[in-house]
Amino acid sequence: MLNDPQVLARITPGIQTLEEVAPDHYKAVSEVKIGPVKGRFSGDLRITDKNPEKSSVVELNQQSKIGNAKARITMGLHAIDDSHTEIQYSGEAQVSGMLARMGQRLIGGVVSSLSRQFFEALAREINQET
Amino acid sequence: MENYIGKPIKRREDTRFLKGAGRYTDDIKLPHMAHVAFVRSPYAHAKILNIDTTAAAQAEGVIAIYTGADECGNFGVPCGWQVNFKNGDTMREPQHPLLAKEKVRHVGEAVAVVVAETQALARDAAELVEVEYEELPAVTNPKDAMQPGAPLVHDQWPDNAAFDWCIGNDRAEVEKALENAYHVTELEFINNRLAPNAIEPRSYIADYNVNDDKWTLYTSTQNPHLIRLLLCAFTLGLPEHKVRVVSYDVGGGFGSKIYHYTEEALVTWLSRQVGRPVKWTADRSEAFMTDAHGRDHVVKSKMGFDKDGKIVAHLTDEYCAMGAYLSTFAPAIPTYLHGTLFQGLYTTPLIHLNVVAPFTHTVPVDAYRGAGRPEATYLIERLISKAAIEMNMDPAEIRFKNFIPPFDGINQPGYQTQVALQYDSGNYAAALEKALEAAGYENFRKEQEEARQNGKLLGLGISTWIEGCGIAPSAVVGALGARAGLYEVGHVRVQPTGKVTVYTGTHSHGQGHETTFAQFVADKLGIPIEDVDIEHGDTNEVAFGMGTYGSRSLAVGGSAIVKSIDKVLEKGARIAAHKLEAAVEDLEYGDGKWTVKGTDKSISFGDVALTAYVPHDYPQGEEPGLDFSSFYDPVNFTFPFGAHICIVEVDADTGKVTIKRFITVDDVGNIINPMIVDGQIHGGVVQGIGQALLEEVAYDEGGQMITGSYMDYAMPRADDVPFIETHNTVTPCPHNPLGVKGAGEAGTIGATPAVVNAVIDALAHLGVRDIQMPLTPQRVWKAMQNNN
Repeated sequence: MLNDPQVLARITPGIQTLEEVAPDHYKAVSEVKIGPVKGRFSGDLRITDKNPEKSSVVELNQQSKIGNAKARITMGLHAIDDSHTEIQYSGEAQVSGMLARMGQRLIGGVVSSLSRQFFEALAREINQET
Repeated sequence: MENYIGKPIKRREDTRFLKGAGRYTDDIKLPHMAHVAFVRSPYAHAKILNIDTTAAAQAEGVIAIYTGADECGNFGVPCGWQVNFKNGDTMREPQHPLLAKEKVRHVGEAVAVVVAETQALARDAAELVEVEYEELPAVTNPKDAMQPGAPLVHDQWPDNAAFDWCIGNDRAEVEKALENAYHVTELEFINNRLAPNAIEPRSYIADYNVNDDKWTLYTSTQNPHLIRLLLCAFTLGLPEHKVRVVSYDVGGGFGSKIYHYTEEALVTWLSRQVGRPVKWTADRSEAFMTDAHGRDHVVKSKMGFDKDGKIVAHLTDEYCAMGAYLSTFAPAIPTYLHGTLFQGLYTTPLIHLNVVAPFTHTVPVDAYRGAGRPEATYLIERLISKAAIEMNMDPAEIRFKNFIPPFDGINQPGYQTQVALQYDSGNYAAALEKALEAAGYENFRKEQEEARQNGKLLGLGISTWIEGCGIAPSAVVGALGARAGLYEVGHVRVQPTGKVTVYTGTHSHGQGHETTFAQFVADKLGIPIEDVDIEHGDTNEVAFGMGTYGSRSLAVGGSAIVKSIDKVLEKGARIAAHKLEAAVEDLEYGDGKWTVKGTDKSISFGDVALTAYVPHDYPQGEEPGLDFSSFYDPVNFTFPFGAHICIVEVDADTGKVTIKRFITVDDVGNIINPMIVDGQIHGGVVQGIGQALLEEVAYDEGGQMITGSYMDYAMPRADDVPFIETHNTVTPCPHNPLGVKGAGEAGTIGATPAVVNAVIDALAHLGVRDIQMPLTPQRVWKAMQNNN
């Protein structure tokens, strides 16, 4: 499910469009608000190091008028039992421009809030399917 | 009629400031004026692969768009001070282009400029300019910039050094003295990078008039003539007689508005291109990114003492950031305005300072209030206070042991330092004695002990300071690498009715020249202060001038005015002698009139003025008029000094520092207006407290400035500052006619080490010896835990 771009587009907060340009390579347009700055981002989203049912890496390279963002998010899946899977994720991001200047102190909070939204949406998605 | 000097006369200029009627550049709206917005780099270091202006060019209201590929990309702003390498190699001086061409070298560097009908339309269009970059690794810390393999700021040179430099005694001799010293105190720290934060952001309007082929540049600068000179002789090659530079009111500078910036050159060029007046005003975010910053030294120091606590040697090595390009005075700041003050107030016999000044991927670093001298004072005063703790001595006592004995510069000669300068006059122990008395030092240790019993952490910090102000004479600064002279111009125009207009080449951006200068002019002429006006800030009115920085205005600019007053009185005496049918030698001047000595025969200043302009009954051969201009080139710097004491309480649970008392004793020579001097001290102390406790420009690993707004860059607020208890001693300057030394930077220089010394004093019993500035609660708390 996490490898389905349509699902990813639905559950990732802020994503407005996600277009496949090549296998595991997408063009993403999103809108995100970080504290006082709000920006429309566009750029690449790549899924690399795919290890089905175990792990994958999402690489983002997004440009916007308020600064650019580069991120690498690693997701790991661990089966707990037949019906439960634990998702672990970790990532690092670099931001530039106004985002870095104005939003630095808020980014940590925004990232956890966006992550929470992502997993809540994922949960809803799973519940709908089952 | 000695009526005005020494009186706390209220500032005349405040009438317009308090009514919101100041004439700041951004207040000026010219007919048909176009507006500018810049496209700025989001990266600290990147190749510019492509700039696409197609969409922006079609946007509403756009008049023109230019990039570094256009003619303006060939122009660059110059550096005004050359400091060569120790081995004689020429300083590395990269072109500082008005718009970046192949590469950007700091966040905020402009890559394109949009001219449009309104500011909003210009900004909207600037957002449509598409710039493709290839991001490159960046280096922002000056020490890191000199490590092998560090990313290069300018590819044409093998490393990032702009120059290296040293001053003082032979290094080997200093090292040997340190080896043999009874005790050596060591200190390693970063003198934190500061953003200047003038309340008025930089603003420029250029107005090219095609009919008479002349330019007028309205600019928020501290030195309009210098800007005109640099613009004409170096940046754009314009004919100087066709350029007028005007800066009426300026809302604070602190050094950041000395420099000739790319934006002001570019708007001047643009105005002719588009045939309209063109305006740009920075927003706060641009100010953080593009105003030259201050400080940013990585410091490693050693100070050696004999067993009685006398300093025997001082050795310091520093890496001092220049930023991506050399700003107007940048090379002078960590060298001639820094190393030359390493004597401090002490008799240290052996001193050596070595400076490496690297380029970094940051906005340029240049003078910020105090400029090199706060950095010198901070390290000397931290070293001596740390030594006192380590040697179990009283921090006041160790200073008294080392002070240079009093000298007035007249009966006793000036004091020759180990670092090139000769101090003019000083009485250093007297300033500290007065400060200790005001602070109640005798009882403080008892109070501190009692407070500790009650779980309160009280600390007292001392700092003593000296500054070289009124930087001069021109021949000397020229030999030291300055590409300009540092004299000043004062023009006294006596009007036919005896009213006086004074034109000064200095510039007031908060200092109160219109009041202070009028006070001494009125006194010297013996006329009411209402009859005197001070004008500055317009190159068409004032013959020439070097502007205001380095606490030079009264010492150098005031002296130039005194020279012209002397000429007025000399000529006036000849006219008076003719009218009174007496010999010039028989006249005396006082109370606004010339009197024949021993008689009641006199003629007033006003009558002489009228006679000069209506010369019917007039001395033969005498030119009409009463109007004199003078250039004054001082014989030496002036050396104000003082002692600051700060008392703090540190919260034992959170590490938060509260300043309980701040006592200043500053000796700025003779004082013309004590209220204005107090105001200067107040503002300076608050800025010094800001560096000590709150302010820091921080960069992340990629060179992004992460303190680019007031959410993350903490400026001092009213509740961070106590009532400041100001006192003075007066040791006149022996070599200028007013006996003044300068007060503009005193507070900033003395305050920072006093605050840090106070916090260390509060925590010394926990084993804390040093904390990196700014002393945020987190850092203070950590230091308390680490040493507990």
